[in-house]
Amino acid sequence: MKLVKKLSLVAVAAAFVISSAGVGSTAQAAGSISGKITINGSTALLPLSLQAAKEFQRLNPKVKIAASGKGSVTGPQAVNKGIADIGACDWDASTDVPGFKAFSGQVANKVAVIPFATVVNKSVGVDNLTTDQLKGIFSGKITNWKDVGGANADIVVITRAFGSGTRVNYQAKALAGGDITKKDKNYKEVGSSGDMKTAVSTTPNSIGYIDLVYVSGGDLKAVSFNGVAPTADNVVKGTYKVWSYGYYMTKGQPTGATKAFIDYVQSKKFQDSSLKKLKFIPISSMK
Amino acid sequence: MSTHVNDLARGEAPKLKEPVNRSGWNRAARVRFTNKLFKSYFLFSILALCLVLALVIFFIGKTALLTFRDISFAQFFLSFDWTPEEGKFGAASFIINTLSLTLLTMVFAVPISVGLAILIAEIAPKWLKSFIRPVLDLLVGIPSIVYGYLGLTVLIPIIRNLSGENLGDGLLAASIVLTIMILPTISRISDDAITAVPKKYREAAYALGSTRLQVIFRVVLPAAMRGIAAAVILGMTRAIGETMAVVMVIGNTAQLAKSFFTPTSVLTSNIVMQISNVEFDSTWNYALHMMAFLLLIISFGLIMLIRFISRRGGHTA
Amino acid sequence: MSSFTPTRKNKRSIVWDKAATGLFYLLGAMVLLFVFWLLYTILSKGLPGINWQFLTKLPEEMDVGGGIGPVLFNSFYILILSLLFSIPIGVGAGIYMAEYAPNNKFTEGLRICVETLSSVPSIVFGLLGLAIFAEYFDVGLTILGGAVSLAFLNLPTLARVTEEAVRSVPTDLRNASYALGTTKFQTIRTIILPVSMHAIITGICLVAGRAFGESAVILLTAGLSTSGEMWDFNLFSPGETLAVHLWYVQSEAIVEDAKQIADKSAAVLVFVVLFMNLLFRVPLWFNNRKLKR
Repeated sequence: MKLVKKLSLVAVAAAFVISSAGVGSTAQAAGSISGKITINGSTALLPLSLQAAKEFQRLNPKVKIAASGKGSVTGPQAVNKGIADIGACDWDASTDVPGFKAFSGQVANKVAVIPFATVVNKSVGVDNLTTDQLKGIFSGKITNWKDVGGANADIVVITRAFGSGTRVNYQAKALAGGDITKKDKNYKEVGSSGDMKTAVSTTPNSIGYIDLVYVSGGDLKAVSFNGVAPTADNVVKGTYKVWSYGYYMTKGQPTGATKAFIDYVQSKKFQDSSLKKLKFIPISSMK
Repeated sequence: MSTHVNDLARGEAPKLKEPVNRSGWNRAARVRFTNKLFKSYFLFSILALCLVLALVIFFIGKTALLTFRDISFAQFFLSFDWTPEEGKFGAASFIINTLSLTLLTMVFAVPISVGLAILIAEIAPKWLKSFIRPVLDLLVGIPSIVYGYLGLTVLIPIIRNLSGENLGDGLLAASIVLTIMILPTISRISDDAITAVPKKYREAAYALGSTRLQVIFRVVLPAAMRGIAAAVILGMTRAIGETMAVVMVIGNTAQLAKSFFTPTSVLTSNIVMQISNVEFDSTWNYALHMMAFLLLIISFGLIMLIRFISRRGGHTA
Repeated sequence: MSSFTPTRKNKRSIVWDKAATGLFYLLGAMVLLFVFWLLYTILSKGLPGINWQFLTKLPEEMDVGGGIGPVLFNSFYILILSLLFSIPIGVGAGIYMAEYAPNNKFTEGLRICVETLSSVPSIVFGLLGLAIFAEYFDVGLTILGGAVSLAFLNLPTLARVTEEAVRSVPTDLRNASYALGTTKFQTIRTIILPVSMHAIITGICLVAGRAFGESAVILLTAGLSTSGEMWDFNLFSPGETLAVHLWYVQSEAIVEDAKQIADKSAAVLVFVVLFMNLLFRVPLWFNNRKLKR
């Protein structure tokens, strides 16, 4: 172990020296903001983080922002470990959610509202599903489209892996905490929103769920939930319930460059222009 | 003097006598010094490589072994129930699936790639050779996600139509994608191995009146066995370790594959699907690391097996 | 006139031989057709839309018409860095295995090490890189981290390819060289490396092609963002590469032209690999012709 450490140290020694010089320079200046911000976590929030980072860096050239995404839970964990300054997460990680314990000492900063939609392949003749029907479909009790008013065909369930932020929220809001059980066949898991879109588009008789943003084009359509169409307007009006906040988790209250960055993301200027263009819903419109 | 001749026959550098101080001792010393220096450098290189492996084993193993603090050895290896949400960590189905996927891939890939290598190295005219080789290399450069995407959008609908299944994801789809991905690796390296067989072997066989087919199967292939085995190992290890493409076409359902079309999951695809969604200090994370560690052990086992087989084959031929 | 009367067994062998030759050609034709179909599918969707702007502009998150400039640059930068780290060690290790390694248990062990290393899934190297650079050295997601982790991935293949290449150099050449009184290293430098150079460079091409398209490692170690500048040589900048960008665009991006960007990026990736092969091979090809004369 010691040998390994030593050798790796030698191998990257030069790099280390340069890096520590770099870290040293991240000390915050009073006037103009400078520093290095690392964002990790939810991939669903990544387009937002990248766009915000771009705009923010244009205003504050001395700030360096690196963003990456893996999965929602990675965000608060990376913050805990000190790998990242901001952990993007699709749920409030400072409280318990099913499957994940709360991260103590972290502050959740709301940055956006994310609506989710139930999607089906366009071959499916069903346009509306109720909570109970969805619960039946995803728990494996309803296996044929004819039981929910469609044609006589097997339902192919496509779902995200356990722990995906989309799945956590969808399960809580659309399935009212109901189960998503694994089935023998006609069941598959995908790793990202893009894969979900492709899989539902190309698989006849399939059903899945996705961030509303991705529902455009392709051979898939969003179905109404309890009779309410999944649109941004219905979310703001409060009639469409399947949505959640997107959060930036930080260790304690954010400070320095990180604080400035989160302030920028929450600012009216960003929320009303870029964030809307990215088809998220501004946090201020939710009462 | 006779020892020197023996050395030469074995392709070893003969040990020179102390050079006589004639055209400047300095140069001789320098030559001997660089000779020594580079020998140690080459040794250092291979050791550095082993160090990387040690690093991998240490890093993965350290986390992996924590698994057995919470769950028993027997449960991990013998149980088919992988429901981490409820604390059930049985990896048996992944292990068996990984082995069957690798086997199926090899069944497709080895005949095709070695056949292709034979075509390039022995049969095709020169212009065709210099055409096929670079074309094959192109396959390597296609990123695995592109393979995965094409598999999902082109291959799976075909399989779905042919089999009448609703999904089409499963071992068959995954092994076809993998076959395409490792095809260039196996055939290019086998090609090199076959080309390296000395010409005189072939000439001797032809002189005895053999047809080309006989020369290929009785003389060239046995002589190139070692290189081909290396190629197969390299291809196979890549197949075992490939993730990004497999994950898109295998269905990712933690169950034993009962048919070629059951949506299922192998070690790599399960790791890549779940590692981003687990907490660092959870049994789940440890179990995933254990699976990565297991992957190392499985490929190690397969490598040993192939080496054993090819060595025996090489002797009897 | 022919004095040779074939026996029945001879005839059968000849028929088999003809049939097998036909089969081999058929196999080759099918594989080639498949490769061309694959390339056509990828390139035809992407290449027509590619222009200079796409290759040099910055990526966009919300407006149509984003480019891949910095991402493409990072791809080359990380690839070159990783080759810089891995070639000396990989080739050195290959030479050791082929030329120096005595035939004993220790060598067996080394060889198994190399082969086992080549089976390590790329995502594991990613996790390793993350542990070393982000946790141990605490530098975050950087180009350097990505390049080193990628180098780990390249090493075993490089070693294996070099070993095969060096091994295939005829023993006669070595003996001839030793007979002139050269040392082992002189023989390697002046005889073995030049002769096996062709195969080694082919191997490097293969490795480079794979590394260029690798996404899992870079995703974890170099991140998903760029510094937003075109020519950023800083080793500690985040370094999203083209393959990672392709993954991102395919998986999560929400710009309207994500699909087109993905198609174009895939086409560029394949095209670059094609070009890299040409670039390395053509000089070799000319060299070979010179050698033959």
